[in-house]
Amino acid sequence: MPTLSDAVLNELTDIVGPARLLREADDLATYGRDWTRFAEPRPSAIVLPGSIDEVQAIVRLAAREGVALVPSGGRTGLSGGALAAGGELVLALDRMNQIEDFNPVDRTVRCGPGVITEQLQTYAEEQGLFYPVDFASAGSSQIGGNIATNAGGIKVIRYGMTRDWVAGLKVVTGTGELLDLNRGLAKNNAGYDLRQLIIGAEGTLGIIVEATMQLARPPCDPAVMVLGVPDMPTVMSVLQTFQEKMDLTAFEFFSEAALSKVIEHQGLTRPFETATEYYALIEFEQRTPEDLEQAMALFEHCMEQGWVLDGCISQSLAQARDLWRLREDISETISRWTPYKNDISTVTSKVPAFLADVEAVVTEAYPDFEIIWFGHIGDGNVHLNVLKPDGLPMEEFQRRCGEVSQWVFEIVQRYEGSVSAEHGVGLLKKDYLHFSRSDAEVALMKQIKQLFDPAGIMNPGKIFDL
Amino acid sequence: MKVLVAVKRVVDYNVKVRAKADGSDVDLNNVKMAINPFCEIAVEEAVRLKEAGVATEVVAVSIGDKSCQEQIRTALALGADRGIQVETEGSVEPLVVAKLLKGVVEKEQPQLVILGKQSIDGDNNQTGQMLGALTGMAQGTFASEVAVDGDKVNVTREIDGGLQTVGLNLPAIVTTDLRLNEPRYASLPNIMKAKKKPLDVFTPADLGVEVTSHLTTLKVEPPAERQAGIKVESVADLVDKLKNEAKVI
Repeated sequence: MPTLSDAVLNELTDIVGPARLLREADDLATYGRDWTRFAEPRPSAIVLPGSIDEVQAIVRLAAREGVALVPSGGRTGLSGGALAAGGELVLALDRMNQIEDFNPVDRTVRCGPGVITEQLQTYAEEQGLFYPVDFASAGSSQIGGNIATNAGGIKVIRYGMTRDWVAGLKVVTGTGELLDLNRGLAKNNAGYDLRQLIIGAEGTLGIIVEATMQLARPPCDPAVMVLGVPDMPTVMSVLQTFQEKMDLTAFEFFSEAALSKVIEHQGLTRPFETATEYYALIEFEQRTPEDLEQAMALFEHCMEQGWVLDGCISQSLAQARDLWRLREDISETISRWTPYKNDISTVTSKVPAFLADVEAVVTEAYPDFEIIWFGHIGDGNVHLNVLKPDGLPMEEFQRRCGEVSQWVFEIVQRYEGSVSAEHGVGLLKKDYLHFSRSDAEVALMKQIKQLFDPAGIMNPGKIFDL
Repeated sequence: MKVLVAVKRVVDYNVKVRAKADGSDVDLNNVKMAINPFCEIAVEEAVRLKEAGVATEVVAVSIGDKSCQEQIRTALALGADRGIQVETEGSVEPLVVAKLLKGVVEKEQPQLVILGKQSIDGDNNQTGQMLGALTGMAQGTFASEVAVDGDKVNVTREIDGGLQTVGLNLPAIVTTDLRLNEPRYASLPNIMKAKKKPLDVFTPADLGVEVTSHLTTLKVEPPAERQAGIKVESVADLVDKLKNEAKVI
């Protein structure tokens, strides 16, 4: 396990000041990991820079001394991308949290990487605008981390991923050089768009030190429906019915097992009495009264077809928010069972057949495990969570889940899908990258990393090993 | 037993309201409207009484322009049997609302009238009490529990320092507090059915009431913006500021 020499520690102290270099056990444990719990955090120290200059100085020092860096944002990742398990120096961007230079004409705003997602959402709201990337951890996750992982979430079907909202990016590469990428331009076909390489690179190419984020017009009076659906293929029929006639802002699904756990542990009210195997949550804008009528007509049609057995709709913003909690609180609720998470996707048209195959494998492989299904599904992405039975040791649980993952990922490969739709690869999905990416692709990725990071100090060992 | 329940259309409580630029009123342009939360609780209580076999019919009444039919439909979807709209224009003050409701009470002869204790727009907290005075019916306000027992209703009230239970002879008026119940979601099949439920429209004249106004709104303005806080250097500094600037010690 590498440790930092006194000389390096002194130099770091000179850069950020003694109060910004943390070495207490508590801090190491807090800053050294994300939401995953499969490995213990063991960073050598935590450094909290407050400016781009300080980040550059730290990176230059790290490159010179061969110190591995792990960038750290809100630490809500689910693939171990921000896990420092091998004595790395954690570079936490919490302090660089300024929002400035709002431009109402371009509808952009400049954010430090440490700006919390919710902070940007609130800021946008105050300007009469909207930052549309949203997910359950928006209250902790940071913009820098969102960009590094190209975070998705619950509004992708309408607004796309984080990538679609990054108008400009400042990045410190592995040599300490500062790149100012795209500078907010809507059109910029002058050469390669390096910004897009940095987005989703999980900190392996450089440290994101500033982002110019695009804002949108706010949605108009969103209404939320929850529908009770008998089985998974039918969820897709419902989706298709609604998508043919309406522009939805969200289409999520979850299973009865997920719902009953959320209701029990979060003290929420059931959406309706009828218990069904699956539920679809649909959000749409009510621009005119006709939108609601359209949705009601589609509901009626689905009911006549036997695709929907019951349903409810929000009558106020508070009810819309409470119905969303049924879906958004699932991850937090099931975290006590240390679930093994799969975050898989394929193109939407293949989802019904894809899900049928995955469900068959999983049901056969885990007869004694509890499976929790939920996900965005409207964008082709589902989360498959396997809960650890109480008595089973962690290693045994992980070994068995690993075996089944292999089968699941073979199906993903057959459907030309992704082994990590929105959680990134980090450490957790590294061994499975080849199910989604060809050898040629991975070889190019490695060469790109070496160009950006010749010393190999930028989040080494994440996504792939060199 | 027939239950009459009053519902009001108000700005959704999650909306941050803004004053109009000329200070004449709250800006309601393109603002999300919803059923007043206390009224929603009143509807839920009436529907539960019906489900428990205590009430035989639930009638939802709202006072306002045509748009308040939306909230009546919500009440019908939640389980009310029929609706009544008393058509008025502009804002009506609590005394007029109470007089109009008295007119509806005389028409419908309910055994129990359930209202929200206040609506979140005007925060007047007057209508239920005024209706009690006008009709001479017993009233149990700020209810956190309602138990009908024969020709009586026991209402547990939230008062300063605890709970008080009052026994009222029917017919009676109950106004709801927040903890009375948790309203259900409007079920989609019930929303479809609610479209076919009867909704009668009356004018104030039908009820023999003249709409008058004793109140004039002089000005609507947002609360003063909070000043930013400061950081003090030392405990002595803090004590000094508390003593001499804030004058709290």
